[in-house]
Amino acid sequence: MISSEAPLILEISDLHARVEDQVILNGVNLVLRAGEVHALMGRNGSGKSTLAKVLAGHPSYVVTAGSVRFKGEDLLNLTPEERSRIGVFLGFQYPVEIPGVSNLEFLRVATNARRQQSGRSELDTFEFEDFVHERLKVVQMDPAFLERSVNEGFSGGEKKRNEILQMALLEPLISILDETDSGLDIDALRIVASGVNQLATPETATLLITHYQRLLNEIKPDFVHVMSNGRILRTGGSELALKLEQSGYEWVDESFANQEAD
Amino acid sequence: MLATRKWLEALSSPNGVLKTVQRNGRQHLSKIGMPARTQDPWRLADLTRLEELLSLPVSSETLNSSSSEQDSLPVVPQDRFRLFLDSRSDLGSLSLPDGCRLLSNDELERFLGQTLDKCPSTTEWPIAINQASASCVLGLLISGKKVPPIEVILRANSNELMPTRLLIILEEKAELDLLQVFLGEANSAQSHLLEIHVGSDAKFTHSWLARGSGDSSLMSQISVQQDLNSEYALNFIQYGWEFARFESSLLQVDGNANSTIRGLQITKGIEQSSTHSTVRFDGPEGSFDQLQKSVISGSSHSIFHGLIDVPKIAQRTNASQLSRNLLLSDRARIDTKPELKIVADDVKCAHGATVSQLQQEELFYLQSRGIESKQATNLLLKGFCYDIFENSPVELENWINLDQLLVSLQ
Amino acid sequence: MNSQKPLEELVSQPYKYGFVTDVETEKISKGINEDVVRLISEKKKEPKFLLDFRLRAYRTWLGMTEPNWAKLGYPVIDYQDLIYYAAPKKSQKKQSLDEVDPKLLETFDKLGIPLSEQKRLSNVAVDAVFDSVSIATTYKQKLADHGVVFCSITEAVNEHPELIKKYLGSVVPMNDNFFAGLNSAVFSDGSFVYIPKGVDCPMELSSYFRINSGDTGQFERTLIVAEEGSSVSYLEGCTAPMFDTNTLHAAVVELVALDNASIKYSTVQNWYSGNEKGVGGIYNFVTKRGHCRGIRSKISWSQVETGSAITWKYPSCVLQGNESTGEFYSVALTNNYQQADTGTKMLHVGSNTRSTIVSKGISVGRSTNSYRGLVQMGSKAVGARNYSQCDSMLIGDNASANTYPHIRSQQPEARIEHEASTCRISEEQLFYLQSRGIGFEEAVSMMVSGFCRDVFNQLPMEFAAEADKLLALKLEGSVG
Repeated sequence: MISSEAPLILEISDLHARVEDQVILNGVNLVLRAGEVHALMGRNGSGKSTLAKVLAGHPSYVVTAGSVRFKGEDLLNLTPEERSRIGVFLGFQYPVEIPGVSNLEFLRVATNARRQQSGRSELDTFEFEDFVHERLKVVQMDPAFLERSVNEGFSGGEKKRNEILQMALLEPLISILDETDSGLDIDALRIVASGVNQLATPETATLLITHYQRLLNEIKPDFVHVMSNGRILRTGGSELALKLEQSGYEWVDESFANQEAD
Repeated sequence: MLATRKWLEALSSPNGVLKTVQRNGRQHLSKIGMPARTQDPWRLADLTRLEELLSLPVSSETLNSSSSEQDSLPVVPQDRFRLFLDSRSDLGSLSLPDGCRLLSNDELERFLGQTLDKCPSTTEWPIAINQASASCVLGLLISGKKVPPIEVILRANSNELMPTRLLIILEEKAELDLLQVFLGEANSAQSHLLEIHVGSDAKFTHSWLARGSGDSSLMSQISVQQDLNSEYALNFIQYGWEFARFESSLLQVDGNANSTIRGLQITKGIEQSSTHSTVRFDGPEGSFDQLQKSVISGSSHSIFHGLIDVPKIAQRTNASQLSRNLLLSDRARIDTKPELKIVADDVKCAHGATVSQLQQEELFYLQSRGIESKQATNLLLKGFCYDIFENSPVELENWINLDQLLVSLQ
Repeated sequence: MNSQKPLEELVSQPYKYGFVTDVETEKISKGINEDVVRLISEKKKEPKFLLDFRLRAYRTWLGMTEPNWAKLGYPVIDYQDLIYYAAPKKSQKKQSLDEVDPKLLETFDKLGIPLSEQKRLSNVAVDAVFDSVSIATTYKQKLADHGVVFCSITEAVNEHPELIKKYLGSVVPMNDNFFAGLNSAVFSDGSFVYIPKGVDCPMELSSYFRINSGDTGQFERTLIVAEEGSSVSYLEGCTAPMFDTNTLHAAVVELVALDNASIKYSTVQNWYSGNEKGVGGIYNFVTKRGHCRGIRSKISWSQVETGSAITWKYPSCVLQGNESTGEFYSVALTNNYQQADTGTKMLHVGSNTRSTIVSKGISVGRSTNSYRGLVQMGSKAVGARNYSQCDSMLIGDNASANTYPHIRSQQPEARIEHEASTCRISEEQLFYLQSRGIGFEEAVSMMVSGFCRDVFNQLPMEFAAEADKLLALKLEGSVG
């Protein structure tokens, strides 16, 4: 286990959020420290993806109560781009296609925005090409994908690799990976997982959002949280994920109901 | 002007339930006169054919159709209901199936023209001709989902212009499957004005076969008004008319409805056939899908003009329109204008058009399997027309000998 | 956060070319009649054949009516209230730039078009046209060494009358349309390019048009002739000061490509578009047509249209030579109350002719952006092909995008394909870019530029960068 003295990266307190008139987050509490890997599990519609989008600042979601602090600073006041620049990264479940916008250019502009924020020099086109080619190895991605439009015509697996490539380039302090394993075959899953493992450092934290144990076989979480109805119902070690795999989510609901009754 | 005046003078004086309509129509017609090619909707039309159309006398009620013609029609399948719409049929004594009733004269007076006025404006002249002369009108009210498929047969005899008018109202949640068959004898003409009101959650499956012969003409005008969550699907086939003009105007009153139009026009000889379609969405989240196909042979001229109009209120509209044309002869001509007018930013609209002849590689492939070229051509043409038939009731095939038709194009 | 609002604000960048240069201008009095036509010809010391050409055009024009089919809403133009000739006073064409009014040089400098030798763009020869009068042409000598003629039409009339006689009005006849008729009667100046047989023009040629006078109609005339086996790339840029009245610009451009010749004509049009309330701006009613006369000849139009209150422009190709090629690549961005009605006509006459149309319209604010086109396959166009793609992007729910293609074929062995689509910048795409640290403005600009990429790829290098910058500029500004 990680020492609880490690610096705080993300503190989510009593977070409530809605989209249109529907309440989706109902008081989420979660703390991530440097060096930790957390897994967030739960059924479809339990609020996992919403939490990820709220953390990244998606305009459709309105925070109605609670707070999120990133290294002690208020995160919720920042625009999506500011969050990225200070080191918050969301790996999308469904990365959008952006026809006409060159992937390489997009990656360069994004990387430089982050570098500039953290006081590092911007990379010119040539320096960036070297950098990106080195990082491509992390996800074993074909350089041909750099020449295409952002995600356009990429297969599901290629899109996910492109996400991890972005993570490798941006070097975030916290990576929130929203169902990065969905739609991947076992080989692609291993490549993506190994990419995530390579990028995890004692200074960074990772939040994996997933349905399945199989990703957690590849990336070992320090904590597992189970979400239901917009709240975290249970927290445990990696054994909790195994229990879920065996007993399903009903078990969480029941045990939670019993807890409430007590 | 002279042709119009002469035609108007020959009409019998206004009478019947459409008396007022006739009076107004005549007045309007004498005001607008004959169409001119400087007017946009007639830019490509062969106007001499309109004059020929006016040279025919309007069909009168005293004529009797010979029974031999009746016999030549396909038999009515058991589960279907057939009626004839022409000046000879006694519409008042029709016994209609359950869920379907005739509109009374009062109702006709109240409802006729409502949908026509509401839908996006269309060309004046064909409507004025119909209004000025039609005395034969049928109004149907459909309720519930149990109405059997209905066939409406419209037949014009030689040497007459037969104007007809039809109004169909589908009540909320009603369903109707309608097949309209237009038959044109040599030197006959038809003018048809159809209004359809599809109530909310109602579903209308509409098939339309217009089969002309010789120098027959057909001018038809459909106005469709769709309420919330309604569905309207039209499959139409038009061929064999020396002059045919099909005009449809569709309005989704509050958006949020589904509309589909699949059309096929086949022309040969010196025929001119045109399809004009306008769709407007007066509310959000409507969807529209149109496929218009033409096969053009001989020295014929085929025209398609489609407009999708998406005003500001119609956010999240999803509309598409595809015009596909096969040009088989170097004397034939195709004009196609698929147009979009959009004032809403959150919409998906697409259109496309292609013009070509049959693919040589496809022909070659079939020939290399031992199929002789004529037959191969026929197979490919059939393939081209396939989507229109695929979505129509099987009964439609009783009315059309596609093989024979396609062979006649070569 | 609703991103739509700032998106609209984003494009409301003030026009930065809106200054007026204070130079002495010679103008004739308002109005048009035969005497005015004679006076223009006299002032320009033209030979008789050209005066006759103008007079015939004037008489033809009198019998013509202004078109209204383009459905462009604009107040009636009083043709007697316009001035038909205005020129900087020292309008004698200068042999050396030192003699040019320094204020004019300064003007072009400000516009980023340095004319002075040391500051010249590398490998681009420039003809600078100020109020429809050519004031300077650079690199003339170097071009002449290759036999290339690049000068103002006025000079060409005197120095190459046989070419002018042969080609002027041969592509756009004076009775072609109302505005072409008017132009033929009163055109003031413009550029003339002649590329002799077998010559690849050694540098890009560029004309830079600047309107300075507010009440003066602008009628330039451009003629480019590419002889057998020659090629040329020509660029055209336009700006104007801000006036609260509308100025009429009715230019005519004629291109002639003979056997195996190729002409690439690129335009970046940034006339003043009027203010955010729609007051002022240029009426840009232009006739541009290329004639692929020879076999395997090629004419390619690319345009980036961002200015003018109203644009009415259809650069077209008559594909007469067998195996000739026509291309049209267009980006039109409209904002506020701008109206752009643009497109092309591809008239396939010869066999195995090819044409490609790529049109990208971006409508913002209350503007209207229409594509109007005609693709026609004549009865002899055996094996001809056309591909068209017309895409619209809408920003804001008051913007409108229309597509009016007309396809006509009389040749079964011709193939035509047309596709059109409409899209918007989706919130999801914006969010994706933002969540990677890319600012709102830059994200929008990236996506608009991505949308236009197919067209930008067709522009000559220097111009592509300029066009990209121009769009970014229009999209830059007050993000809330």
